[in-house]
Amino acid sequence: MLSVNNLEKIYTKSRFNRTPTFQLRADFAIEEPSIVGMMGPNGSGKTTLFELITGSNTPTAGQVLVDGKNIHDVRTDERDRLAIHYHQSYQVRHFSSLRPNFLLNRAGCDYPKVHLFDEPQFNTQDGYIGFMLDFFRKLKADGRLVFLCVHPNEKFHLEIMQEICEQFVFVQSGTVSTYPNFHSLTERPEVKTYLGKLLFEEQIA
Amino acid sequence: MAVFEATGIHKRFGSSVVLEKIDLQFETGQISGIMGPNGAGKTTCFNVLTGRYKPDRGRIRFEDADITGLSPQQIAHRGISRSFQIMNLFDDSAVIENIMIALPQFYGDRKNIFRSAFDNEKLVGGAMAVLEQVGLSPKAWEPSKSLSYGDRRALEIGVALAANPRILFLDEPTQGLGANATLKLSNLINELRERYTIVIIEHDMNFLFDLADKISVIHWGQVIAEGSPFELRTNKWVQRSALGEVA
Repeated sequence: MLSVNNLEKIYTKSRFNRTPTFQLRADFAIEEPSIVGMMGPNGSGKTTLFELITGSNTPTAGQVLVDGKNIHDVRTDERDRLAIHYHQSYQVRHFSSLRPNFLLNRAGCDYPKVHLFDEPQFNTQDGYIGFMLDFFRKLKADGRLVFLCVHPNEKFHLEIMQEICEQFVFVQSGTVSTYPNFHSLTERPEVKTYLGKLLFEEQIA
Repeated sequence: MAVFEATGIHKRFGSSVVLEKIDLQFETGQISGIMGPNGAGKTTCFNVLTGRYKPDRGRIRFEDADITGLSPQQIAHRGISRSFQIMNLFDDSAVIENIMIALPQFYGDRKNIFRSAFDNEKLVGGAMAVLEQVGLSPKAWEPSKSLSYGDRRALEIGVALAANPRILFLDEPTQGLGANATLKLSNLINELRERYTIVIIEHDMNFLFDLADKISVIHWGQVIAEGSPFELRTNKWVQRSALGEVA
């Protein structure tokens, strides 16, 4: 369903000074519809990874296959029919390619296979959380792959991740690691450090 | 059977995608609610349904006719009326005048431009009947700018009703209203449900939960949840929220 093959994105100081300022590396595959939780500190590369998966950012090396199609070989006006990136409060999709659309492939579907939710605003007071979680479940039941990126700063954020996510991706300093469940994720020392007090509160509860 | 149906509606403005794939059905004689957080695409959805914007993809059907892409005027002629979030009233005119110029017969009967519209009993009677429905007949001859905010909302609904619609769309009717005015408006809409199919976009969840037969929750330009107020309230996270406390 989604294959991220030896993907690499390197940002350099300038076009002439090629000293890297940030590097992101990812290599993983998800075969079945699922809800995947994503966490990681600010600036670790979560949004960059989402942009690479949706084809709105170009990789330095490697490729992203969505439903078997290389997203960067799909027409720019149809990439969001394969994978879509839901920003926090708006949806702007800007795609560019050096190759014109008539040389690129059709998406071949009308509704995206991969849905990437970038830090949705969860508010326990208004009740929308429940509707959002049901929507993620419905997408999975319809055969879609859902990524839910959350930067937990409240206990209920972890509660949501535990309730809804079946597998996890942790991004730190440009390194992407995958975990099959919440327990295996929170066993990692770097994740424990990242979650700090929140994880401790979760375990007490 | 749904009297109004939108299928696979998609709308984008430049690189901003506002509606992704909206499917909505409104049943005859019911009050349907559309709610969602700020920026979810509610008003754009309303504007597409009532013809102000043409959808990029998808179809809209009303009473078995395809109305996709028709102009707001053509859609109004077919029996679809709407109110606006920002009120559009003639402030210096009397309350009854605001209704009279919205009556379809105002244009048909105005052959003699030298004769005052107020001499036409049919027009005045028609306008008074509409004002009766929205509870404003005692204030018919007052200037509309002298009305309270709540009464202005009722007058706007009256203007929408003057076209004799079969389906009425209301865009955030409680906006700017206090608790008493909101209750009054809720009672008015409850009375209108006998005669019209009503669709309400609303930010105030409690208002919708009390009134609507069915609610569609819009977020990220899509319908993320749908059901009766009772069904939506059973959700665990809704129970935990302020809305659950009210329930």
